[in-house]
Amino acid sequence: MALLPLLFLALSFFLPLWQVLSQGLKAEGRWTAARLAQLLSDPYVLHLLRFTLKQALLSSLFSLALGFPLGWLLARYDFPGKEAARAFTLVPFVLPPITVALGFILFFGNSGYLNRFLIGLFGLSSPPIKVLYSLWGIVLAHAFYNAPVFARFVSAAWEGLDPGLTEAARTLGARPFSVFLTVTLPQILPAILSAFALVFVFCFLSFAIPLALGGARYATLEVGVYLYARVYLDQGQAAALAILELVIALGLTYLYIRGGGIFTSRGQVGRPQATVKLFSRPRQLFWLPYLFLSVLVFLGPIGAVIADSFTRPWQGQGPTLAWYGMLFSPAQSPFIGGSPLASMALSLEVAGMTAFLALGLGILVCWALRRMRSVLLEALLMAPLAVSSVVLGLALLFAFRRPPLSALASGPWSIVLAHTLIVYPLVVRVIRPLWQGLDPALVEAARTLGAGGFLAFLTVELPLLSRGILVAGAFAFALSMGEMTAVAMLSRPGLVTIPLAIYHFLSARRFGAASAMATILILTTAGAVFLWEYMGRRLLRGQA
Amino acid sequence: MRWILGVFPLLVAGACLGAELVVYTYDSFVSWGPAQAIEEAFEAAHPGVDLVWVAPGDSSEMLARLIGERAAGGTEADVFLGIADVELPRALAQGAFQPYSPESIPNLAHVPAELLFDQTGHVIPFDHGYITFVYDSELLAEELIPQSLEDLTRPELKGKIVLEDPRTSSPGLSFLLWTIAHFGEEGWLDFWRDLFPNVLTVTKGWSEAYDMFLAGEAPIVLSYSTDTAYSYIAEGSLRYRVVTPDGEGYRQIEGMGIVSGTDQPELAHAFLDLVLSKEIQELIPTSQWMFPVSSEAELPEDFARYAVIPGHPVSLPPEYVAEHLEGWLSEWQRLLVGG
Repeated sequence: MALLPLLFLALSFFLPLWQVLSQGLKAEGRWTAARLAQLLSDPYVLHLLRFTLKQALLSSLFSLALGFPLGWLLARYDFPGKEAARAFTLVPFVLPPITVALGFILFFGNSGYLNRFLIGLFGLSSPPIKVLYSLWGIVLAHAFYNAPVFARFVSAAWEGLDPGLTEAARTLGARPFSVFLTVTLPQILPAILSAFALVFVFCFLSFAIPLALGGARYATLEVGVYLYARVYLDQGQAAALAILELVIALGLTYLYIRGGGIFTSRGQVGRPQATVKLFSRPRQLFWLPYLFLSVLVFLGPIGAVIADSFTRPWQGQGPTLAWYGMLFSPAQSPFIGGSPLASMALSLEVAGMTAFLALGLGILVCWALRRMRSVLLEALLMAPLAVSSVVLGLALLFAFRRPPLSALASGPWSIVLAHTLIVYPLVVRVIRPLWQGLDPALVEAARTLGAGGFLAFLTVELPLLSRGILVAGAFAFALSMGEMTAVAMLSRPGLVTIPLAIYHFLSARRFGAASAMATILILTTAGAVFLWEYMGRRLLRGQA
Repeated sequence: MRWILGVFPLLVAGACLGAELVVYTYDSFVSWGPAQAIEEAFEAAHPGVDLVWVAPGDSSEMLARLIGERAAGGTEADVFLGIADVELPRALAQGAFQPYSPESIPNLAHVPAELLFDQTGHVIPFDHGYITFVYDSELLAEELIPQSLEDLTRPELKGKIVLEDPRTSSPGLSFLLWTIAHFGEEGWLDFWRDLFPNVLTVTKGWSEAYDMFLAGEAPIVLSYSTDTAYSYIAEGSLRYRVVTPDGEGYRQIEGMGIVSGTDQPELAHAFLDLVLSKEIQELIPTSQWMFPVSSEAELPEDFARYAVIPGHPVSLPPEYVAEHLEGWLSEWQRLLVGG
C-alpha cells in the first residue's frame, strides 16, 4: 500500500526526469562528470550561481519578515472581512509572473501610481522610488509571491496550538512577549522552517520574475538552463546545469529535514485558540505601519492590474468596459484558442481535480513516510518542486508520449496529472510537520481500543490534520490555477487555461484584455479559495 | 525508439478518422494572425480535411518542441510555420524540414528573389518585417530622438531605453546582429559598453518590453517598424513613432516548411501555396503587422503611409550568424553582467 504512490511517482515522474537529466552525465555515450566540471569553471555560471543564492536568501528573509506578521494577524486577531482577507492571501500565489510584473510596473514603476502620487504630493521633478530594475525589485516581488506562504504556514500552526499551554505560562507570571518566545515560537518553528525551505527553493528556481523586474542583468541559474535548452539547444549542458540546481535545491531540503526534526514539537489539538479583536487595545496600534506596508506591497500591484483593466484606453478612450466586452465577444475566441468562459471552466476543473488528487497522493506519501522514516526518501519526494521548470516541462512532454501516460495525452487529464505532480510535494510539506507533531499515543490508544490501522487513521489522525489538509488543498488549487510551464508544454487547441489566455492576449498586443483576464483570474481564485475554506471550516465546526 | 510505440496508435487513429494536417506555429499567429482565415479557406478547398493549429508557445519554443519531438521518435506536425531566418541553419542541421517541390506551389512565382532566404530549398518566406526603435513623442524631447545608433549612447538618455534579450527574443537578437553588421566585429562591443548605462532593463521578450514602454517606464523601446501603423489603425494614435537610426533597421524574414517524414506531402504543399495566395497575403499587414512577401498583395492605405521600410535594411547571412552566434552571445552576456 505504501509502495503504491512511490510506484506511481517512479513511472510518471522519476523515470522521465532521469531520461532528461542523464544526458547531463553523458558525453559521446559514456558516463562522465566532465560537463559538470566544465560548468563549475565557467565564470558566467558561477556568477549566476552566486547571484541566485544571494537573491533567494534575501527574498526568503524578506518574505518571512512580511509574511510572519500576517500569519500572526490571521491566527490571533479578529477583524471584519478576515475570511475574505485569508482567501485573498493566496491570490499573489496564482498570478502568472507576467501579470505580477505588469502590476509592479504599474504601481512601483517610474510612471507608476506610487511615484506619480509622490511627485504630485511633494512637487518632485523625478520619480523618488526606484526599486524596480534592481536586486530589490526582485526581492520585493518574491516577497509579494511568497509572504503568503509564510502567513499560511504560520497561521495554520498557530491556530492548531493548545491555548492551555500559553494560559498556563501566563498564570505562572510570564509576560506575553516571553510567552511568545518560550512557548509559542518553539511550537510554530517547524512550520516556519518548512515554509522557509519551500520559499527558498521557489526563489532559487525563480525565472520569470528576476527577468521581468530585474532584467537580463539579474538572471538566475534557471535562465542558464533555459538558455542551454531553448537557445543553444544543447540538452546535455542544460541537463548538467539542471542537475547542479537540483543537487543544491535537494541538498537544502535535506539539510532542512534533518535539522527540522529537532524542532518538531508535540502539538496537541484541543479547543481552538481564542482570538482578540484587532485594535481593542492601544498597543495594537503597532499593527498600523505593518498594515500600511502590506497594503502597499500586496494590494498595490494587484489593484493596479485591476485598475488597468478599466482605465487602459480603448481606441483612445478610457475608462472603459470594452476590454471585458472583448473577453466575451465570440470574435475573440479564436484569438486565445477558446472562449474566455471555457478557459475559466477549464481552469476551475483542472484546479479542482488537481487539489483532490494532490491531497490524496500527498496524504498517501506522508503516510508512507511515517512508516519508513527516511530523510533521503523525503528529500527525494520533494524533487518535483526542486526541478527546474524547463526540465520539468521536457520530462512531462516525454512522460506523456509513452505508455502508460500516453493514453491520457489528450484532454485535460494530462494537465491535471502534471499539476498533481507539481503540487503534491507542497501538500506533503504542509501536512507532514503536523502529522509528525501528533502524539503517537493517540493512535496507539485507538488501536488498543480495537481500531484497525485505517480506521484509526480515519477517525483519529485525519480529523486532527484537517486544518493542514484545508490549507494544503487551497495551495494546491491556487498553484494549479496559476501554473504556466506544464500547460504551455501540454496544451492542445481548445485547452486554454486562464494564464495561457493572458499570455495569448499579451502577445497579441491586447494589454487591456490581458489585464481584464488577470482580474478574472484574481477574482475566480479568491472566490474559489474562499468557498473551499468556508465550507471546510463549517465542516470542522460541525465535527467539533 | 521505444517512443514510437506510444505515438503509433495515435497515428493509426488519425488515419481512420479522415485526413488531418497539423501545423505547428507560434501563439500570436493563431491569436492575431491570419490563422483562422487560412483554416477556413483550406478546409473549404479540401473537404473532409481537418487543419489543426498547435501553437502553445513562441516561435523558438515551438521549434525546440518540434526538434525535441523528432529526436524522441516522432512528431504530429506536418508543417511548421514561423521559423525565423536566424534559426534556419539550426533547423536544417537537425533535418527538421524536407525539400519542397516548387512546381506544386504556383504562388511562389510572386515572391521576389531577394526574400528567398533559404538557398537549400527547404523553407519558403511568408512575411517580413524590420526591427528598429520606437519612441514616445510625449515623453521624449525632439532633440533626443536618436537619428543614429551613436545617438543612443548620449548621456541624456541614461536609463531611457528598454531592450529585449538577444538570447531569448527575436527582436533582441536582431538588434545584436544589427550592431555587429553596423560596427563590425571589432567595434560592436565598444558600442554596447557605451549603450548599457542608457538601458533601463533588458527584457526576456517583446511583450514585456513594449508593455513597459506603454506604461511610460522609458521613452524608447526596441520594436517593429510597423508600430506607428498599428497604433494609428487600431487606436487612432500617433503618439508612438518609429525612428530608423542611420536609416537602418534589421530585416526579419519568417518562413514555413514541410516537416520531414510527413504523411501528408500533397496537403502540405497546398497549404504553403495557400499562405502565399493574394487573399491571405493581403491579410498579413493588419493581422501580423508585417509586410507580405507576395508582389501581388496590395497594402492598405494607412499601413502603407505609416509602416516604415528602412532605407537601408540590414541583415547578416544566416550561415555566418550560425557560425559565430554562440561566441557573440557569450561576449555580450559577459558585458551584461559587468565582466
